[in-house]
Amino acid sequence: MIKHLIIKTFVILGMFGMAYSAQAADPVKIGFSIPKTGMFASAGPSQLNAYLLWQDLVNAKGGLDIGGKGRRKIEFVQYDDKSNPAQAAKIYEKLITNDKVDLVVAPWGTPHHFAVAPVVERHKFPLVGNTAASVALRKVKPGYLWFTSSMMPDNVAKAMTAMLKSRGVKSVAILYNLLPFASENIQFLKPALAKAGIKIHFEAKYPPDIKDMTGMLIKVKAKNPDAVLVHSYPGDSILYMNQAREVGINAKTQYVMVGPAIGFFRGMFKSNLDGIITMGSWAPGMKGATGSQKFYTAYKKKFKGHEPDYLDTVEVYASVQILEQAIAKVGLNREKIRNAINTMTFKTIYGDVKFNGVQNGSTPSSFTQIQKGKIEVVWPKSRATAPLADKGAWAN
Amino acid sequence: MDSLVSPQLLAAAMITGVLYALISLGLNLVYGTMRLLNVAHGDLVMIGAYVAFIAFSLLNIGPLVSMFGAALICGSLGWLSYKCVFQRLLSNGQLLSRLEENSLLLFFALSVIIQNLAILFFSADRKGYEYLSAIVEIGDVRLTGARLTVLIVGAVISAAVVFFLRFSLFGLAMNALIQNRDASAIVGINVDRVQMSSLIFGFGITGLAGALISMMEPITPVMGFPYTMSAFVIIILGGLGNLWGGFLAGLLLGVLEVYGVALTGPEWRSVLVYGIFVLILIFRPQGLLGSGKTAR
Repeated sequence: MIKHLIIKTFVILGMFGMAYSAQAADPVKIGFSIPKTGMFASAGPSQLNAYLLWQDLVNAKGGLDIGGKGRRKIEFVQYDDKSNPAQAAKIYEKLITNDKVDLVVAPWGTPHHFAVAPVVERHKFPLVGNTAASVALRKVKPGYLWFTSSMMPDNVAKAMTAMLKSRGVKSVAILYNLLPFASENIQFLKPALAKAGIKIHFEAKYPPDIKDMTGMLIKVKAKNPDAVLVHSYPGDSILYMNQAREVGINAKTQYVMVGPAIGFFRGMFKSNLDGIITMGSWAPGMKGATGSQKFYTAYKKKFKGHEPDYLDTVEVYASVQILEQAIAKVGLNREKIRNAINTMTFKTIYGDVKFNGVQNGSTPSSFTQIQKGKIEVVWPKSRATAPLADKGAWAN
Repeated sequence: MDSLVSPQLLAAAMITGVLYALISLGLNLVYGTMRLLNVAHGDLVMIGAYVAFIAFSLLNIGPLVSMFGAALICGSLGWLSYKCVFQRLLSNGQLLSRLEENSLLLFFALSVIIQNLAILFFSADRKGYEYLSAIVEIGDVRLTGARLTVLIVGAVISAAVVFFLRFSLFGLAMNALIQNRDASAIVGINVDRVQMSSLIFGFGITGLAGALISMMEPITPVMGFPYTMSAFVIIILGGLGNLWGGFLAGLLLGVLEVYGVALTGPEWRSVLVYGIFVLILIFRPQGLLGSGKTAR
């Protein structure tokens, strides 16, 4: 009888032991939605690639450091949100309640962040946002959501005005896409320019499906402003780059908001991009940006020589580094992760990040410029990898 | 107002117009001969663009050569879809009566399949390449080599197709089919053959247009939808199934868009384009050159 009891006890203890060791080896399930189809599908890979690279690099080390108590590999659970914010909200609900993920990372784009905010808030899942920037995000109740972006439009407007003043710019032409982020930038830029005494010689807004800019650009040329500021997205940035050369826009300061930092765009325009200023806070090997060169090299290796999107991919990667460091400090307890994100300073490829409320309180709004085919951070000076240069003549 | 007399603006209007005309030709042909509403039309543009991109980046073949490959591939897709799907539908009297509605659903499904296959094979990443990017000066007009090429090649091919369909025997057979399908069969036209050729031809021209567009625009699996929309607007403006009308409507829309925007402001673009579209639908529903007498 006693013998049987001892055997049973050992068997039960053995089962517990096996279950424990299986649990210890279980991966950390991290969920997210991504636009694989629909109107934002082409923007999705810049985010997805950052997640996949992070997963590879972390798993190569043995997995996430769980509060100093061992490592667990990352397993992603991802769904296509079809570029639809409402769908993203449903997916996050499913990830949390049905798939039982341990944590979530951000969906793509500002509207999607607004859509999933109530879900993560209700379930108390911390979410470090990326690819989202709007002053309206500051109205999100501080709780479980933070925004890594340094490109809040009011801050961008101040930085741009300061950059233009440093170049002695007295007059500008502004062209902008009617999509929300571009429009919001203009809403803050115009009063900032007025305050700095910089005159707006020409202003035009255009719809996202614009097919030709020649009429606008002929008018810009006639006004001969010191700077041309184009708040555009990749499709219309390409239109500008082609047609500004045709019309002969030769301002020494030309800003093209989104596009020049993406690899395919640089492949399309090569040396014609030299001197173009664009939105961005990062360059490989930048001072104070922990591991940025390592990230750049690993990205190119994983994605067959392709460069990361210097704007989105970098910010996305920084957002998951923040999560990784919070987990390393406090483990997987979501309340503790939340407190860690609120209080810690994180070493990322974006530089040191500390949140002030819901927003990144330490990374300044910055600009990059293409110089001899290379992207350099040129503003603010404290972050610059190269001095800001005049845009010379078009290459051809 | 000075900008309105600029030759640069005229050249820009011609490029937009020629591109519109070329893109709408294939859609018009397919609708005219078979009453098929091809909502996957823009996806053929996308296929053509990817063919040109792959030919350029992997094989170093320029789009002026690969555009014929794009036409061949899209034309083959037309043949395949005719043989697998539409031949049976067009030869069945019962199904024929609902063909227009059914074709909308079928092409919608085809569109989803093509887009997802493109995402699977090429990823959703934007792609692009540099080709003929240097500025060419002709008098006061300065154009990138790529845009000048699109203007010339697009104009030549559009005009050649329209003239071929108007004056060749085969083109006349297609025109006959556009005007009256049953009467065409009675006078001895091989309706099946003409229908299949229309689908091959229509798909092929669209693929070719996609190869040309790849020189100027980013290439993505979802790039096609705006072209589907534009092509539908143009063929309705010109008169459904009226190839010459579609060609002129394409040019007109290009001129209207570029000059209208220069005159009013870019934010008025959609109001102008779709405003004209609605006005035509109200006051001349048969289109600019449509006779309103087209019969099945």
